[in-house]
Amino acid sequence: MKKRRTITREATLGIILLAIIVFLSLTTSFFTKSGLYSFMLDVSPTVVAAIAVGMVIFTGNIDISVGTISGFVAYTAGALVKAGAPMVVFVPAAIAIGTLLSGINGFITVKFKVPSLVVTLAMNMVHIGFYATFLPQSGWIENLGPRFTWFGRGRILDVIPYTFVVALIVSIVAMFVMKYTRFGRALYAVGGNRQSAIFSGINPDTTVMKVFLVQGFLIGISALLRAMTRNEVMPSVFVGRELFFISAALVGGISIFGGSGKIVGAVMGAALVYLLSIAMIYYGLQDYYQFALQGIIILVAVFITVTDFGKIRKRMQRGKLKVAIND
Amino acid sequence: MTDTRLKRRRRLSAIFTHQSILVLVLVGLVAVFGIMEPVFFKPRVLFDVVAIVGEIGIMAMAMTYIISTAGVDLGVGYNLQMSGIVFGMVWVSTGNPVLSIVAALLTGLLAGIFNGLIISRTRIPPLVTTLATMYLYRGISMILAGTQTFTGFPDGFRAFSTTKLFGFLPIQAIYLIVIFLIMNYFYERGALGRNMKGMGFNEKAIVFSGVNTRRIKLGIYSLMGLLCGLASLIYLGRLSAAKTSMGDYMNFEVITAVLLGGTSIMGGVGSMRGTFIGVLIIGTLKKGFTLLNFSGNIYNFTLGILLILSLIVFALEEERKRMAGREEATSAAAARPASQTPGDNPPTG
Repeated sequence: MKKRRTITREATLGIILLAIIVFLSLTTSFFTKSGLYSFMLDVSPTVVAAIAVGMVIFTGNIDISVGTISGFVAYTAGALVKAGAPMVVFVPAAIAIGTLLSGINGFITVKFKVPSLVVTLAMNMVHIGFYATFLPQSGWIENLGPRFTWFGRGRILDVIPYTFVVALIVSIVAMFVMKYTRFGRALYAVGGNRQSAIFSGINPDTTVMKVFLVQGFLIGISALLRAMTRNEVMPSVFVGRELFFISAALVGGISIFGGSGKIVGAVMGAALVYLLSIAMIYYGLQDYYQFALQGIIILVAVFITVTDFGKIRKRMQRGKLKVAIND
Repeated sequence: MTDTRLKRRRRLSAIFTHQSILVLVLVGLVAVFGIMEPVFFKPRVLFDVVAIVGEIGIMAMAMTYIISTAGVDLGVGYNLQMSGIVFGMVWVSTGNPVLSIVAALLTGLLAGIFNGLIISRTRIPPLVTTLATMYLYRGISMILAGTQTFTGFPDGFRAFSTTKLFGFLPIQAIYLIVIFLIMNYFYERGALGRNMKGMGFNEKAIVFSGVNTRRIKLGIYSLMGLLCGLASLIYLGRLSAAKTSMGDYMNFEVITAVLLGGTSIMGGVGSMRGTFIGVLIIGTLKKGFTLLNFSGNIYNFTLGILLILSLIVFALEEERKRMAGREEATSAAAARPASQTPGDNPPTG
């Protein structure tokens, strides 16, 4: 009997990505030096953040305050630069802030056993309120100078931004961690079946706490990658960014129920989400079509993930298709 | 654990129920704001609290149903926004108030039905569905309105939410009480309310006891949508301008009110009365902060902290109840003869 070749979700995504790239290259100025440069520059922070959010989703949790956490990270970096701190100080400090804030989310989720979505929804509001209430000028800092922007604007061979290299390294490390380390496998185990994770000696609470800390660390990197391309920081520009991160992760095939998905999917998802938004700009659709589009993308992506097409196909072969996805 | 201590604890927990604590919090808040700004005690100002939570209250009642079933609707604020903008557009282009009202209600209802269909017919969890449709509805209202603002609504329409009965009682109080009475009736008395709470505890068990949970889900999310449409009308009458910033963060206020009222986010436990008091607390905070000239951001910040605190308090309360139950069970077991295991039924008579 011939072995059936199954097309993985990642392969499908790859084909779609390729098709969009070819289409954009043929019809617009996407495939030029500046077009590619700006694409790589824009997509890098989203790739890192999609990996971060994806790791939390692996465990069956979700964090929708990552956008506003990014704002705090950017503000910390900006304020420290303004105070004259060198890069070896402000980068770790900013990442530490991200880790701390995400850790608070994780702590409340784990300690009090409340759904992470509601905790982070509340945190989202706390952060937004904090910007405007407690930060001077709502956290707006300008004229940061080349000490802040040299890394974000630097490029190799005039095309590849440094930030893209960072995103690439983070992706490779994350893939390695998910596949070959105890921590990575524990994430899948906790998200897949909490009870059997406990029986195989994994402490779900510690694992979830750890993944929130890792997420904070990665969000710190992602926020810096984005902030350091600009000469000023403004925390409120990060409000709502979580939408892109989450839809990138979900489009990449990371199951919202936890326990399945791949890092490479999240990376491709980030690229897809960005390509679509670039395509919209090239074709002159206004910015606010983004919201509606991302909403639909999330719905479709999750629908594909939750629908057991194999089961449906089997039923169709047996000649009695009942559209009963619910059971 | 001696018997007297147990009895005292039971008596104490009978007095300090979640709701009575909430009422104390509400009274305390009113007192604090009143002392800081004496004008707060004037009936016109005090009752204005009810007027500004009219729309939040209406949505929170339906949200209590939804959260009891272990679901949630994150997009209520943006559903309200979309309905309001549809109202504004239809009013500006046709000038027909009845048509505009019907259009707004229909928009809200359709948005709710869309949520309900996805949640009841697919395995996509409510959190994700409504997170996605939240962005979808927000996007749609931005596409529809752009930067436009729709104004110039007729006075007759505005009277529906600006009328003051006896010179001080806002008409929203009537809406809230009527909707509360209806919703509370179905929540506390009928099989429907029991089934909804049951769905929050264990949906499979309710399915196996012969209840069509899909229909309940479709029903409550549609009801939520319809009430969002209604809330948008009440909100617009007070605001008299439809624009894309209306309803921002309202989802969050609604969820906070419901959780504050003692409905468990995990489902299964809920109280419509608690929600009512929760809504009033939110209104008091909102009005008090406005009077004290605090910005909206401090309000959001406080509300965020409040939501997290109420989540934590509720979780701790559940934990304590479980521990107390265990203690009672063990002390009861100790009181029994040694031959009996704790699992046995105590002898009758």
